[in-house]
Amino acid sequence: MGALFNISPILASALVVVLPFIAFLYQALRGKKSTSGNISLIAIILSAVISASFVFAEIWGHTPQSATYNWFTIGTKTFTFGILLNNLTVLMQLIVCVIAVPVHIYSRSYMKGDNGIHRYWMYLSLFCFAMLGLTISKNLLMMYIFWELVGFASYLLIGFWFTKEAAVQANKKAFIVNRIGDLGFLIGIAAVFSTFGSLDLVEILGKDGLFYQGIDNNTGLMTIAGLGFFLGAMAKSAQFPLHIWLPDAMEGPTSVSSLIHAATMVAAGVFLLSSLFPLFNDNVLVFIAIIGTITALSSAYFALGQYDIKKILAFSTVSQLGYMMVAVGIGAWDAAMFHLTTHAFFKCLLFLCAGAVIHEMAHAKAHSTTDYDPQDLRNMGGLRRQMPKTFILMTVASLALAGFPLTSGFLSKDAIVISSFEWAIDKGGLFITIPIILVLVSIATAFYIGRLIFKAFFGEFRLDKSLLPHLHEAPKTMLYPMVFLGICSLFFVFSWNPISYHGAAILDGFSVAYIFKEIHSLHIIVPITLTITALCSWWVGYRWYVLDKYPLNPNSKWITAAQHQLGMNDFVNNKIVKGTLTFSNWAYLFDKYIVDGLVNSIGHIVKILSQVASWFDKYIVDGLVNTIAGTAYYLGHLLRWVQNGRLQNYLGFALTVVLIGIIYLIIR
Amino acid sequence: MEKFLFYAFALLAIGSALLVVNLKNTARALFLFFITLFGMAGLFLFALADFVAITQIMVYVGGVLILMIFAFMLSNKALLSDMQNISTHFLSIPNWQSLLLSLGFLTVMIYGVITWQDQMPNWILENIKTGDIIQATDNNINQLGVKFMTQYVLPFEVISIFLLMALIGAAHLSRKEEQR
Amino acid sequence: MITLTHFLVVSACIFCIGLYAVLAKRNAILILVGIELMINAAILNFVAFGRYDKINYGGQVFALFAIVLAAAAVAVGLAIILSVYRHYKTINPDNITDLRD
Repeated sequence: MGALFNISPILASALVVVLPFIAFLYQALRGKKSTSGNISLIAIILSAVISASFVFAEIWGHTPQSATYNWFTIGTKTFTFGILLNNLTVLMQLIVCVIAVPVHIYSRSYMKGDNGIHRYWMYLSLFCFAMLGLTISKNLLMMYIFWELVGFASYLLIGFWFTKEAAVQANKKAFIVNRIGDLGFLIGIAAVFSTFGSLDLVEILGKDGLFYQGIDNNTGLMTIAGLGFFLGAMAKSAQFPLHIWLPDAMEGPTSVSSLIHAATMVAAGVFLLSSLFPLFNDNVLVFIAIIGTITALSSAYFALGQYDIKKILAFSTVSQLGYMMVAVGIGAWDAAMFHLTTHAFFKCLLFLCAGAVIHEMAHAKAHSTTDYDPQDLRNMGGLRRQMPKTFILMTVASLALAGFPLTSGFLSKDAIVISSFEWAIDKGGLFITIPIILVLVSIATAFYIGRLIFKAFFGEFRLDKSLLPHLHEAPKTMLYPMVFLGICSLFFVFSWNPISYHGAAILDGFSVAYIFKEIHSLHIIVPITLTITALCSWWVGYRWYVLDKYPLNPNSKWITAAQHQLGMNDFVNNKIVKGTLTFSNWAYLFDKYIVDGLVNSIGHIVKILSQVASWFDKYIVDGLVNTIAGTAYYLGHLLRWVQNGRLQNYLGFALTVVLIGIIYLIIR
Repeated sequence: MEKFLFYAFALLAIGSALLVVNLKNTARALFLFFITLFGMAGLFLFALADFVAITQIMVYVGGVLILMIFAFMLSNKALLSDMQNISTHFLSIPNWQSLLLSLGFLTVMIYGVITWQDQMPNWILENIKTGDIIQATDNNINQLGVKFMTQYVLPFEVISIFLLMALIGAAHLSRKEEQR
Repeated sequence: MITLTHFLVVSACIFCIGLYAVLAKRNAILILVGIELMINAAILNFVAFGRYDKINYGGQVFALFAIVLAAAAVAVGLAIILSVYRHYKTINPDNITDLRD
């Protein structure tokens, strides 16, 4: 046992990555024969245990470790693959593992009886493998490969119910939008490689890395690199305007949404930006902050108008990712990672709770005479009596999302908002709008999540009351993971001080040096403001939705616009997709008529030329030769006629010559 | 009178010769050739060559022509049809190339004769001056016999041998193939 | 007085008629007749010029030689014609074109 405990963190982390891959291979090979998902579950539990005990415990707060192996050589450049273990990567790996385990357990009952469950386990293991690999990649190229794999697994899982048209459209959309981001990532890699000649993160950003040897990161190339990486992160982390794929991605199973599209994969963009943080210069950082703000605001606004329970959560995710981006943009990427961590837990919990509700609604639908959408908030109401445990867990998660004291969300959100205030005051000018918008978003967040809770769990059940007996608490296999996540959404997991984020272990672990001053008064004012405004918005929500004192016209322009996401989807469909289709049609026509036509006409011209040449050859060259030959022939024929064997002719010719000779002599 | 006779003979010779070459019927042409040879012999008399005229008649008419007619009759299978050929075309159509060539030669020769008729060769002028020209009263035959046996004895012998050879050759050529 | 010119003109005419016969006739015997005509024209010239040569009598002597030679030529020629006829079954020289290429 002693030797077992002494395995190196490098080997352990590699094992963490490989275990889900083995599960994936097992599921892929067994196919339909293996539907229980035990192997995947065991693999991810083992991964989580190993990650926590042998990797996280060994590395967190200690010296980073890395291992490099040569992969291939092009010219003089050797590409490597390797494992990088530092605070950031081990934290990310641990989060992925720890979130994945409850989701796996939850999935066992949530996905029970599905026809394609063997595929589900296969894809889920593949995703875990790719995501875990992404977290500990030392090399940008390797990271890119895992990045692509993650996107691919996400594509497969969104389209899991591929018989649904909406799911197929959604996974197509997700894949295409992610391609845009991947292009940016690739541009970034190319720019980095052309600047440093290496893609190794340690070589570039390590303590003695190339980056600290006096390379100016304000050059155009570095800006391009930064923007490229940010574009990659934008697509993966669903930043405005590339966020459009994420709400649609909710077509996948809810458990998938919770793991991939709420907790882990969408956070990969934030993770990428955090690990590459030193590369970004001020321009890029400001750009990141602005985009993050826009994202946070717009999706919070969209979330206000949605009725689909999962879409609300999806927009909420986008909005929170916007927060993280702002944190990265202002340089507080430790706050971003902190928020990522807390968000991963409570958003995963929110999804799982929503999944439980949807599960029950769908279950009840089987007994219903009418057809209804199990995800629509308007069909719910008063569920707290049927599903009290789910209600409590969801309330905890909602409080965390809204940033109430004693929850994890309170700590991380305060960290971001306070840092942004400090940053904006440090910078001055219009930058102050960014933290103000963040506060507004926070109020909106509290309002829309409150709306969700009130609509779903309070009031009266809006459908046929006879269905109520069919609605009951979620099964234990679903409930226990939710309880675990609920505990993780509370403050004490991260910091013993429920009021101030300064004691948070994660922030200490990164120890980022802020470029702006700390303003102590803000640390008191902002949390209080946020809490009070959130309480106010909850009170308004309670009045509106529970007490049915709804003052607004539900058909007003603002609400419709929010519901339709400001027409962005329509815009994308009508303008970009159709434009692309039209363009490709044009391109097709261009190809067909201009390019092909050119080629064909060139061919035609060549053909005509060859015909002319052939004619020339036949009639001019050959003709010349033939004429010469013919002349010779006719001359010969003429002379041959002379030699016709007739003596009299011979004599006649001879005498003619004699006569001519005589005449010549006479007239000479 | 002498001139008139000369022209008559000349006309006879030339006219019959023209007929000879233009007749379609070969047999008739051969018989007409007699007339031509007679006419020529007559013309020889005007050149005071009586022995040559006699020899002409004897050799040609008596030998050559009979030989020709024999040969013609031996060779021409179509003789009968040729003999009976009272053709609608009495004369054969002249071959224009040959006619042109012959007329060309005639023109050239007449031109020559007329051009040079005033420039007699010196030996003729000298002989006329010295009177060494043959007179009608001369005994030609006597003189010829003397000349053959004296001055021209070598050509005479050579021509005799030649004649013999020709006769032998002709006999050899004309014998039957099977006998060879 | 019959001048030399008279004889020359007549002999030229006879010669040309003979020449025409040689060139144009389609019968070997008539070609031989043409040759005889030409020889006769030559003989006429001999005797005509021989008249002015009483000392040597060359004109008449060679006229006699020529007549003999013509007779020999006719004999050989006719023998050849007979041979040709036996070989080709024709005496039309147009049909005998073995000299052709």
